[in-house]
Amino acid sequence: MTWRRVLKGVLGPIISLVAVVAIWQAIVVWGHVAPYIAPRPLAAFRAITSNWSVLWPLTSWTIKETVYGFVAGVVLGVSFGVIMAKIPFLARTIYPVLIMSQAIPIVALALPLVLILGFSLMPKVVIVAWIVFFPVTVNVLDGLNNVDKDLLTLSRVLGASKFRTFVVIEIPGAITPLFSGLKIGATYAVTGAIIAELAASTGSSLALYQHTEAGQLNAAGVYGTTILMTAIGMSWFLLTLGAEYLCTPWRRRSVARRGWRGAKNSSAVNNKQGE
Amino acid sequence: MKKHFLRATLTAAVLASSGIVAASMTTAASAGSMGTTTVNFAYDFPGPDMELIPIVVGQDQGFYKAAGLTVKTEFPANTATTSSMLAAGSANVGFITTADMADAIASGAPLLSIANYSMSNNWTIFAKPGSKLTAANLKGKKIFSWGDNWTNTMMSFVLKHAGLTSKQITIVTASNDIPLLMNGSVDFDTSTTNYAVPGIEGADHGLKPVMFTGSQIGVPNIPIWVYAVTKAYAAAHPATAKAFLSATLAATKWAIKNPAAAVADFVKMYPNSGYTKAYSTTGWSLTIPLLTNAAGKFFVQSSSQWATLDQGLLATKQIKSAPAPTTYYTNAFVPAQ
Repeated sequence: MTWRRVLKGVLGPIISLVAVVAIWQAIVVWGHVAPYIAPRPLAAFRAITSNWSVLWPLTSWTIKETVYGFVAGVVLGVSFGVIMAKIPFLARTIYPVLIMSQAIPIVALALPLVLILGFSLMPKVVIVAWIVFFPVTVNVLDGLNNVDKDLLTLSRVLGASKFRTFVVIEIPGAITPLFSGLKIGATYAVTGAIIAELAASTGSSLALYQHTEAGQLNAAGVYGTTILMTAIGMSWFLLTLGAEYLCTPWRRRSVARRGWRGAKNSSAVNNKQGE
Repeated sequence: MKKHFLRATLTAAVLASSGIVAASMTTAASAGSMGTTTVNFAYDFPGPDMELIPIVVGQDQGFYKAAGLTVKTEFPANTATTSSMLAAGSANVGFITTADMADAIASGAPLLSIANYSMSNNWTIFAKPGSKLTAANLKGKKIFSWGDNWTNTMMSFVLKHAGLTSKQITIVTASNDIPLLMNGSVDFDTSTTNYAVPGIEGADHGLKPVMFTGSQIGVPNIPIWVYAVTKAYAAAHPATAKAFLSATLAATKWAIKNPAAAVADFVKMYPNSGYTKAYSTTGWSLTIPLLTNAAGKFFVQSSSQWATLDQGLLATKQIKSAPAPTTYYTNAFVPAQ
């Protein structure tokens, strides 16, 4: 049963990936496209494997930028979302600025960041965080503002503190929109990292490597790098999806696991059974 | 190497789309609407700048029209795309660096250089105005690079001359060079005099940058930019190639003789280029001396220039083996001077 479910979940994506590669191969072969214009899929993959010793340090650096920037963006986004949900005046004040922040072209932002923060990891992390935090903020804010009002009333009637209401009712209520924001952020994070690398790099970077390969008409190298960049984005999205799966057990089962139930309730049930 | 550094991530899409464009452009040169032959000219940069002046003058002053040509200028998505546009057939004549040309040939692209644009090497290492730094102490320094093939090649000569390895310096690549230089974020900038000097002067109230060039830094005096076509285009349209160069030569000579009017033509055609008239005027005045060789000739290429270039390309492993210099070029279309 479990295997069947896993197969069901995996089969679709595999079929679509195979279809993309097949279409790519067909266009190149039937279109008689020269290898310096567009390579065959295998040539692009070979460009990765044969240059792995060069590409891996660059890829790991891009992953580092993506992860650090994503985490920073999420922390910032969640913090903004919570603060804005709790202090409506602040929300009204900050929201226009947040929207304005996303209207600034990242490329224009990159140079001042480099001038201020240098060529270290920091400006790249800031750019990725800049891209990630907005969808997270908006989704957390929407999630917290749309928690079931009846549940909040019930919580108040039962005498729950504001903090306990926040932890037990509001956070779970905002988790689904939060993960929507995280998934959007996860896919954009790698784009941010690549833009940041183009904005400023010392030595080399995955983006610069791709630019150099393009300049040398090495289409296999260009496509190979693109595959790597895509793989980073997809992996990060899948990890976020996995985290969502773990954090939202109520989507799969209506009753909490025994260990997760409150101790008070369990002892009450036991006492009742003992009577 | 030049001004800005754009998104290389677009390249894959451009390569793919240029293949589609190529399929739709089976005829390399098509008849223009007025009975002229259309030549699609691909520049080396996503936007126009003063090095385009000969083409602009050719268009505006009617040199191309007189030669029976309609020259349309195309701008690539980024600095690495012009060779692809030529190879894919979406452009007939391209403006590229000799290093891009050699790398394209090494990748199997059937390109052919039909004329030099510049005849000498004005690639230079700059320090900010008033700097005490010298080219003798590059070790441990931060050096700005546009990350292009030409700069990579020239840096191989610089490092060899300085007795350094690439690990003993820090190459910085960013979207703009002059703010980083003036801010002190990098110790040195690398660019060509005709772009960097007006830029640095403009940024620092006319103060001249400190420059290290030629034998000071061990770089050979070879041409940087060429006009290139595909071998198939050269074979199928020799008269068009020759007419293009003849008209371009006439336009170039006119622009040298009338620099202010030539810059005015450029400003008129591209009012939103982003460059001030002062920048273009200084830039063009610094470009003029580069356009002729010691004998006062335009366009003429030599085997020695390509053989010297190969040394740098081999050193940076951009090519695995050096082809015969004649693989790269022909002077067959260069007009009599």
